[in-house]
Amino acid sequence: MLGEILNTYYLQIGSFILINIMLAISVYVPLSSGQLSLGSAGFMGVGAYTSALLTIHFDLPIVIGIIAGALAASALGVIVGIPSLRLSGVYLAIATLGLGEVIRVIFVNWDSLTRGSVGLTGIPQLGREILEFARGVGFEPAMIGIKNNQFVFLSIFLVLLVLVIVILWFVVRQQNSRVGRALSSINLDEKAAESMGINITYYKVISFTQGAFFAGLAGALFAHVIGYISPADFSYHRAVEVLIFTVFGGSEVIIGSVFGAFFLTLMPEVLRFVSEFRYIIYGILLVVLMAVRPQGILDANLLKKIKFKRSKGGIR
Amino acid sequence: MVIEVKNITKNFGGISALKDVSFSINKGEIFGLIGPNGAGKTTMFNMITNIYEPTSGEIIFQGENITGIKPYKITEKGICRTYQNIRLFSQMSTLHNVMVGGHSQSHSGVFSSVFRTKAQRKEEQLLIERSEELLELVGLLEHKDTIAENLAYGQQRRLEIARALASNPSLLLLDEPAAGMNEKETDSLYDLIKTVQSRGITVLIIEHDMPLVMKLCDRITVLNFGEKLAEGTPEEIQNNEAVIEAYLGKEEDEVDA
Amino acid sequence: MLLEQIINGITLGSIYAIIALGFTLVFGVLGIINMAHGEIFMVGAFVGVTATGILGWPLWLAFIAAIVVTSILGYLLERFTLRPLRGKKGVSHLAPLISTIGVSILLENLSHHIFGAGNKPFNTSFSQISITIGSITIYLVQIVIFIISILLMIGLTIWLSKTKAGKALRATADNLETASILGVDTKKIIILTVVVASAIGGIAGILVGMAFNSVSPQMGLSMGLKGLAIIILGGMGNVKGAMVGGLILGLSETMLVAYGDSGYRDAIAFIMIIVILLLRPQGIFGSKVSQERR
Repeated sequence: MLGEILNTYYLQIGSFILINIMLAISVYVPLSSGQLSLGSAGFMGVGAYTSALLTIHFDLPIVIGIIAGALAASALGVIVGIPSLRLSGVYLAIATLGLGEVIRVIFVNWDSLTRGSVGLTGIPQLGREILEFARGVGFEPAMIGIKNNQFVFLSIFLVLLVLVIVILWFVVRQQNSRVGRALSSINLDEKAAESMGINITYYKVISFTQGAFFAGLAGALFAHVIGYISPADFSYHRAVEVLIFTVFGGSEVIIGSVFGAFFLTLMPEVLRFVSEFRYIIYGILLVVLMAVRPQGILDANLLKKIKFKRSKGGIR
Repeated sequence: MVIEVKNITKNFGGISALKDVSFSINKGEIFGLIGPNGAGKTTMFNMITNIYEPTSGEIIFQGENITGIKPYKITEKGICRTYQNIRLFSQMSTLHNVMVGGHSQSHSGVFSSVFRTKAQRKEEQLLIERSEELLELVGLLEHKDTIAENLAYGQQRRLEIARALASNPSLLLLDEPAAGMNEKETDSLYDLIKTVQSRGITVLIIEHDMPLVMKLCDRITVLNFGEKLAEGTPEEIQNNEAVIEAYLGKEEDEVDA
Repeated sequence: MLLEQIINGITLGSIYAIIALGFTLVFGVLGIINMAHGEIFMVGAFVGVTATGILGWPLWLAFIAAIVVTSILGYLLERFTLRPLRGKKGVSHLAPLISTIGVSILLENLSHHIFGAGNKPFNTSFSQISITIGSITIYLVQIVIFIISILLMIGLTIWLSKTKAGKALRATADNLETASILGVDTKKIIILTVVVASAIGGIAGILVGMAFNSVSPQMGLSMGLKGLAIIILGGMGNVKGAMVGGLILGLSETMLVAYGDSGYRDAIAFIMIIVILLLRPQGIFGSKVSQERR
């Protein structure tokens, strides 16, 4: 019965949405302290290549590869972040943009390691590894009435879902704490925040590095879900796309990133003609949003109204 | 002595905003810093909180040379300020503004915040209680969930004071707290500053409202064109020829007119 | 051989400098980094290809067409992406950056749809004329590019310092509010700035088309990023810095291609961005003061 419901195509789109949510959050977190990072594609690439190379060449388990990938991205985040953070937001945006391009150029040119613009193939796939593990402990997909490839897609989706929930939990908890208040005070007025005793460099590095970590994690997962990667996957366009997820959905509330990634990943799948003009639509979307609703579709006010209506409806 | 300002000079480009200014403030005093616009009063605040580093001279706070240390560390050491043009965290609630002010009084990091450790919850609870108490002091407790930018002007000024007090300062710097206030608001501001003093906090205040300054301050320093013109009790300042010439005379004429 | 490389480097550097000028003008007056400038440049190049290749117009007419089209684009950019954000309460300083990124991907993908993804040749008989001195070959185009960039640089400097409009522009750059109190029509000045910057971008577009003999929708992005690297190197809002920065980048890229690994050519600009930001954020010619203004 379960076997008839599970559509691998839907599961795959669901997995892409979840990865994109992670990426959107990787932009959202630095932005919540007023830092615009255009390097998300670069960090994603570092995570992806690190994990892919480690698992291909050293036969490391995927889990180790993914963790190493995310850590490599955040280490790079710290190295680039600390000096750039002395500068205002606009400079940081350009520095991260430059970083992203340097990373991509290295992927293209370091042939012996990255195989250039052709990219890496034969990356161990997460779903298959889980399937093997499950079989190892005596579980067969057939036992719950699904085919092997259904199990593969389902397990990927579930792993990603759990990770996204953990990340959301982490970010929300952090937001509603001393750390979160410090980040948002820096976003609102850096000078005033500093004179309230907040070490702004420290908190900026923290949020910037967290962003790099999430992007690296998403990149590593992407590599092991798809199975092949190339420098084109981590271009400037990818960085802009991720930025649009966050800016469109709502850059002031975490749920905005989730909504933006969900909506904009699904839209081209549902409306085929949209796919062709995707970037043109993205461009218009950014211009119109900044002019009309710079905080994005969802903001605190709208969320409050939605909640209010719901609770009123409940009473009736 | 709480703070000693020693021979502070500050040059911007070729222009000196402060020339060899010295004064010191005793514990528990309310100390006034007055002078015409452009006399260098706010620049002096920026020197003390090290938003700008002085060109020469030093600042000794509670026996320690604090010249050139980072602004956030100065706050940790016990100096906090308000701004002439209110700088609240405009999109945050009133309560959260004060809680940010309490940043240096709390310690939770990312880990304890995310896992809500026992210590973190206790600290957060304590911070809320303390912040609410301060909001009550400035008369804003009923507005604790209001977004700061929606507060009335006078309320925003009071919130800034509460936010600064949350850092538990030994020295509070107030930059024109009565600006734009009506008489009634100014009166309650007077009471508030006196209450702050009674809690053992030393106050350094820049203010243009002369009646308030004269009523409030124990001692006053007058700046004119970046130089110290006079120092003394309100009576001494009011009777000082140089001060009357440079500043008070004009001001009183304006008040009379 | 070396001399030829130096000439190539100077040509390339002059083009970079012209592109950087467009960035610098807008940044100097508005404090905004116009992320769409590279794409406006690319449109200029495509107008040149269309005019000379498809319509068979003479080169001078193609230049005028490119200037007209990019000026209009500049006006539209100001009208619909920058003006709505100006003076609006609660708009983050990042909003114009994001908004112009929107314009950049819009323009890039529009020309992708219209002209296709590949490189378009830019063939004019003019670009084939060369002079040979001994073993060195210099193309007339290279000389023209160098002269145009020098003329633009001098013209712009004179315009900024001597003419009334230029002075108003500098006043606006110093302080928008004060300038408007002093009776400067800041709205007009801002439009003028963006239009002039865009037109300069259009000129650069045609020059690049001629120099490299090819035009593609993606050229805006890579050139735009190089322009950014140069204004960071030369100091934001600094005309002289743009010229020197452009030459430095042009020469070092040419040398790397000639004597090193050409694959990393595009990385120089970005490594330069990062290194400069770390060591001397105000740029080579920038002063500390302009840094504090940010």
